[in-house]
Amino acid sequence: MKISKNSLAGFSLALICMLFLPFLLRAEEAREYIAIRKQGAGRIAVVLDRTAAKSGKESEWARSIDGTIRSGLDFTGIFNLLPAPMNMRSMPGGPLNFGALNSVGAEIYTGGTMTKQSGQVNLNMEVYDALSGKQLMKKQYSGAETQLRSMGLRFCVDLVELLTGNKCLLFGSKISFVSTKSGFKEIYMCDFDGQNVVQLTNTRSISLTPAVSPDGNYIAWTDYTSGRPDLYIRNLATKATASVGKPGVSIDPSWRNGSNELATTLSFEGDQEIYLVRPNGTISRRLTFSRGIDVSPSFSPDGSKMAFVSQRSGMPQIFVQDLQGGAARRLTFSGNYNTQPSWSPGGDKIVYSSLQKNGEINIFIVNADGSGLLQLTRGARDNESPSWSPDGRMIAFMSNRQGRKKLFVMNADGSNQRALFQMDGDQQQPSWSIVR
Amino acid sequence: MKHTLPGIVGAAMIVLAGCSSKSAVSTADQTGAGTGSDTGSGANAGTVAGPVLGDIFYGFDSSAVSTESQEQLKQNAAWMQSHAAQAVTIEGHCDERGTDEYNIALGERRANSAKEYLVTLGISSTKLSTVSYGEERPFDPGHNEEAWAKNRRAHFLTK
Repeated sequence: MKISKNSLAGFSLALICMLFLPFLLRAEEAREYIAIRKQGAGRIAVVLDRTAAKSGKESEWARSIDGTIRSGLDFTGIFNLLPAPMNMRSMPGGPLNFGALNSVGAEIYTGGTMTKQSGQVNLNMEVYDALSGKQLMKKQYSGAETQLRSMGLRFCVDLVELLTGNKCLLFGSKISFVSTKSGFKEIYMCDFDGQNVVQLTNTRSISLTPAVSPDGNYIAWTDYTSGRPDLYIRNLATKATASVGKPGVSIDPSWRNGSNELATTLSFEGDQEIYLVRPNGTISRRLTFSRGIDVSPSFSPDGSKMAFVSQRSGMPQIFVQDLQGGAARRLTFSGNYNTQPSWSPGGDKIVYSSLQKNGEINIFIVNADGSGLLQLTRGARDNESPSWSPDGRMIAFMSNRQGRKKLFVMNADGSNQRALFQMDGDQQQPSWSIVR
Repeated sequence: MKHTLPGIVGAAMIVLAGCSSKSAVSTADQTGAGTGSDTGSGANAGTVAGPVLGDIFYGFDSSAVSTESQEQLKQNAAWMQSHAAQAVTIEGHCDERGTDEYNIALGERRANSAKEYLVTLGISSTKLSTVSYGEERPFDPGHNEEAWAKNRRAHFLTK
């Protein structure tokens, strides 16, 4: 590995910055680290040190922060968290022994201190390249005692962005979903990792298919409070709620990226067709015109194309249509029952569920041009409703592999499939989004 | 084949016991008309006056009305013609296979196909309303073909 030498002038400048700025990101070193990493791929081996603290109260906070950071980094699936080697420091509080870190395979060391100052909690974190011994980042996170989780997650965002060079959208994201916890299907929302579950509807009917707008301001869903499946659109801040209020069904909304409109299936004209609808519940325009069911729209990141399910070729298959016009192109040819498309945030992939001959429903991923089909779940009963994390690294889905319907997450390549959290009742129809 | 499902009648009545504003009887057992109310639970016996509108059943991913279903719909139409003031809601249901959203659309097509057939038999469309429950309200909670066959249905409710 190449180790570049800092000039004395550069070092002095860095020292001055360190004295005056709470946040120091050593951009050059970080870029160099990322460039070297790319040749290797694999998970980034990190030693996450215990946060140092003096008193009992501060130690308690430090352990809480450590838990948040550890589970946050672990959740991303891009880190391999190594236990700290015994001889990491020659004495408590002494300098880091990078040789010891290297000997356990660590690429990155991170650790910090927790202090209290006039009622405020200060977390000072440092990140080192364990191979070169260079400091990559030094930053202070401050907040109230009640904000420990958000402080820990802010550090996770910075670390992911530092080491991957990509914007980290994961830790501020939310998953909306349907749960029968109350005895009725209602809409709930939780943090990316299943924490902080909040019940959003109390319809005591059947509430289904939540979808949050790209700007994070609205949530749309379908429920039966009117006696039939109608679509509701709620401003998350003001709680003002509009409905479509058309005869027939109004189901399965999906927001169009780059616009303030959603697409949903309506049947007031007789056939189940997809329409664009405004947040006030009025119809903007009709998008599909084929006889039979058209349902479950999902848009490309730029909003120019729509994947959707259509019965036009007999059994349900996924089609892609350009919103500027032109014929819909059939995307899926393998399998007789392909539904629930979800277009990746990167734009290159579409994930969907397929009812297979053996009776299982499994999740598949295909390139947006129809090539490169891969099966992501298998041999684990039904796996449905795939939804991308906003950063495109992960997919949330519903699985009944353990009996009841529960929410799961996996990496986008199908690895690391695990339950998101434990909650009473069934959970289904996860929808992952950024919420302001 | 008659859709004579003795186990279902009792189960239907249990469902009805929790449904105060609507009455309904499943099965197509016309020879035993009134069977539904005979086997009904005491809690609901007073409100079920014996209208027998039998369910009709569908093939997988289909909303086509089969020959058997046409027979049942003719019997349902006959009852409706003799109770001309009675409005009827047709519920469309699906089995648990397939996916939730698609099944709500499919359930609506099933309810609509039953409605359209009744209209061709002379029933006024103004007396008929439809609602799709997709796979949300399975009649039989089982996870096998026997249960699925019972769940792919149009169900008729008098108001």
